[in-house]
Amino acid sequence: MSIEQQYRTRAKELLSAGEVKMVIGYGAGTTAERRRPIFITSPDETERLVLDSACIANLSGYLVTEGLLSDEKRVAVFLRPEGIRALNVLAAEAQLDPLQVVIIGFDLPKGELKSLQGSSVDDFTDLLGALKESTPDVDGRELLEKIEKMSPEERFAFWQEEFSKCIKCYACRQACPMCYCRRCIVDSNQPQWVNTSSHTLGNFEWNIVRAFHLSGRCVECGNCDRACPVNIPLRLINRKMAQEVLDSFNHFAGTSKTQEPVLASFKKDDSETFIL
Amino acid sequence: MSKIGVFICHCGENIAAKVDCTRLASALGDHPGVASSIEYKYFCSDPGQESVKKAIRDNNLTGVVVAACSPRMHEATFRKACAEAGLNPYMCEIANIREQCSWVHNDGEKATDKAIDIVRSMVEKVKRNNTLQPIEVPVTRRALVIGGGIAGIQAALDIANAGQEVVLVEREPSLGGHMAQLSETFPTLDCSQCIMTPRMVEAAQHPKIRLLTYAEIESVDGYIGNFQVKVRLKARYVNKSTCTGCGECITKCPSKKIASEFDCGIGRRTAIYTPFAQAVPNIPVIDKNNCTYFKNGKCKICVKSCPLDCIDFEMQDEFEDLEIGAIVVATGFQVQNNALYGEYGYGKYQDVINGLQFERLASASGPTAGKIQRPSDGKEPETVVFIQCAGSRDPSKGVKYCSKICCMYTAKHAMLYAHKVHGGKSRIFYMDIRAAGKGYDEFTRRAIEEDEAGYLRGRVSKVWLENGKLMVRGVDTLLGKPVEIAADMVVLATAMIAQPDAKEFAKTIGIGYDEYGFFNEAHLKLRPVESSTAGIYLAGACQSPKDIPDSVAQASASAAKVLALFSKEKLEREPVIAVNNESTCAGCWGCVLACPYDAIEKKDIKDRSGKVIKRVASVNPGLCQGCGTCVTFCRSNSIDLAGFTEKQIFAEVMGL
Repeated sequence: MSIEQQYRTRAKELLSAGEVKMVIGYGAGTTAERRRPIFITSPDETERLVLDSACIANLSGYLVTEGLLSDEKRVAVFLRPEGIRALNVLAAEAQLDPLQVVIIGFDLPKGELKSLQGSSVDDFTDLLGALKESTPDVDGRELLEKIEKMSPEERFAFWQEEFSKCIKCYACRQACPMCYCRRCIVDSNQPQWVNTSSHTLGNFEWNIVRAFHLSGRCVECGNCDRACPVNIPLRLINRKMAQEVLDSFNHFAGTSKTQEPVLASFKKDDSETFIL
Repeated sequence: MSKIGVFICHCGENIAAKVDCTRLASALGDHPGVASSIEYKYFCSDPGQESVKKAIRDNNLTGVVVAACSPRMHEATFRKACAEAGLNPYMCEIANIREQCSWVHNDGEKATDKAIDIVRSMVEKVKRNNTLQPIEVPVTRRALVIGGGIAGIQAALDIANAGQEVVLVEREPSLGGHMAQLSETFPTLDCSQCIMTPRMVEAAQHPKIRLLTYAEIESVDGYIGNFQVKVRLKARYVNKSTCTGCGECITKCPSKKIASEFDCGIGRRTAIYTPFAQAVPNIPVIDKNNCTYFKNGKCKICVKSCPLDCIDFEMQDEFEDLEIGAIVVATGFQVQNNALYGEYGYGKYQDVINGLQFERLASASGPTAGKIQRPSDGKEPETVVFIQCAGSRDPSKGVKYCSKICCMYTAKHAMLYAHKVHGGKSRIFYMDIRAAGKGYDEFTRRAIEEDEAGYLRGRVSKVWLENGKLMVRGVDTLLGKPVEIAADMVVLATAMIAQPDAKEFAKTIGIGYDEYGFFNEAHLKLRPVESSTAGIYLAGACQSPKDIPDSVAQASASAAKVLALFSKEKLEREPVIAVNNESTCAGCWGCVLACPYDAIEKKDIKDRSGKVIKRVASVNPGLCQGCGTCVTFCRSNSIDLAGFTEKQIFAEVMGL
């Protein structure tokens, strides 16, 4: 039986047994290469589920849809390792109870579909720990290396050029599982810290605020990057911040459901002398 | 519509000499929302404050900006004046045009332009200020004094004598600190023990003082008036309640060759010991690391010798939680390790000692019973060389600062030596003789003129042993010649440094410290006994090098601060605290972790049926110190700081 068929059966069993009220998975998209998230609530609909190398979107963000988990019933979700890390971050930030989430895990190493054993976040601790030690496989590594070699002025010019394309559609925010705030800082207008118009300053402000808000939290699932309609290489900013956080604080986002947020926790052995 | 009053202070010439106050006043007079803009020589004076009050009443001002010195100087003064004129004190702000403008600029024209910007920006802030009411918190009337040296004892006695409860914590087995180690004290030469031990007894017997010796502070939580302190009572292995201090165990203990900390390594002690004969409490402790039983599992001679069965090898450390209203930190100092100066031979030659060791030699309670004898062979030294500033005022190897007490104690040592060893020659190498203090200069003159202390102005480069003599090579800069002296003993006036664990301790209790590890005062001149944390006060050499009179004075001053705090049942606190917008809070709890004061709690928001629909952060106004850490952390910008709201800060920035 193919992995896809196995997982369809599993989804069907979970729903029939009443173990979960919903399965969040992938369905056919508008073209053969595209998949869209589908929300299955009836065992009869599980045949609509698709699982192949095109299933790259991180679905964990749907779990924090307001009211979804408030009835304390469980939901099953298709997640890649990045998605499981995202689930851990969301649990650590008290946005959901991980016991309410049944993970249907899979991975796509080199585009090859592979199933992952386990159903609760704790089942994946070893896998995520190993991920921390491994070299991340980044799309666009050459570009990243090129940017690293630039002088600060050149780098500034590079990002200014990239950000000049931004149309402030906030698709990156919408696609990101970490952007769960009820009111984003850019929507706060008393005072209006971040300029909403799409000019150089406003675009810089937004993208820098976004990078900071995601440092130590981003799991590099690539949702933002794929969502960007003007192709700003957002993953590279996230990659850089993730590396900085790893180097400075030995912090890798989403390794456990109780991980302390790196920018809000202080330790007496932190290198900063001002920490009392 | 705002009606802001702007008051531009000349601060004598401090501001007016650089900033054109008339141009400043007229520029602000034209600023939208400013109803009155006046200048005056000293607004902090009585007529100055009166003119502020009059302007408030005459113009029905809604806000006040005083352009003057730092808010740390006079914010409270002007807020009080505003309150007296009927304006909410938090509608008054200070624009600092002295420290941040006139004092730091040369060009008057540009300084005036900058002052206009500073004041305008503050006017924009005040337009958005809200009236705030002070927060009342209860006060636990019990003080904790940390450290049982002279400063701690003085503070504890002063507070207790005023009728308030005190817990006095000392980490050594006995009260006394460094002062108990000294022989005589300058400038009167009265015996240190004779003036110290009665105070120790008084503190121990005082009905209002609870004494916890051999105890250390584990943690401090809470805030002014309401601290929760956990104390570790280290295991003495001797039952405090039954021991009478008869000393049988000490006499019988077979491990007798342990270097005595109290005698600075010159004397010896046993494994079960009291630091000195006059210890308070007179209850021994067992030094676990040196006790034969703890090392080999055999011995127990002390158990057999104790007539009251007080020894208990099974004893464990105990913990006690205390509710405390105010804390006096009097943790003292250490002397620097002289081994830093290899060229002086400390540690290599037994007869090169430090000042504190000399005190033990000269002390009647010391290992030689007050006779000046060389540690190597017990001979009376015929020539003693004293080297001052062995560590102090030496940025390259030692410390940058002056240890303050060494000039005086070296003069005292020379005097004691002259009194005890007739015909003995003392030679003192010094950089300057710093003898500022009541009777101090007279004292050093007496040492020179009556007791023939030989002062040589210059530094020593090397000390070496030759034919049984310590050869000291230095320079006499007044004669401009190198000198070599054959000495029998060399005494180094070592630098006074912070306790080795001072920085760790400061982190535990939450106070600031300087680059050396001395604790920081809130203001060097105006708040010298308060730490930067409300409700924690400083006494003695833990703040900076101090002699006994200064330590005692500071201890009494900190006691006065504690008593002022305890004079009221409730404490008024600044209402500058964080406020959370519950409707936008995402409940990520980052602020809960980020808060250094544990002031943020989780709050359930329920619907009418009682079902929890949302959990949000909630700030405890009693605990919040208004530091703003949570504000910077909050991603959704839900937390704001009263008195420094984002709206105000934004207006302030945009006003520039």
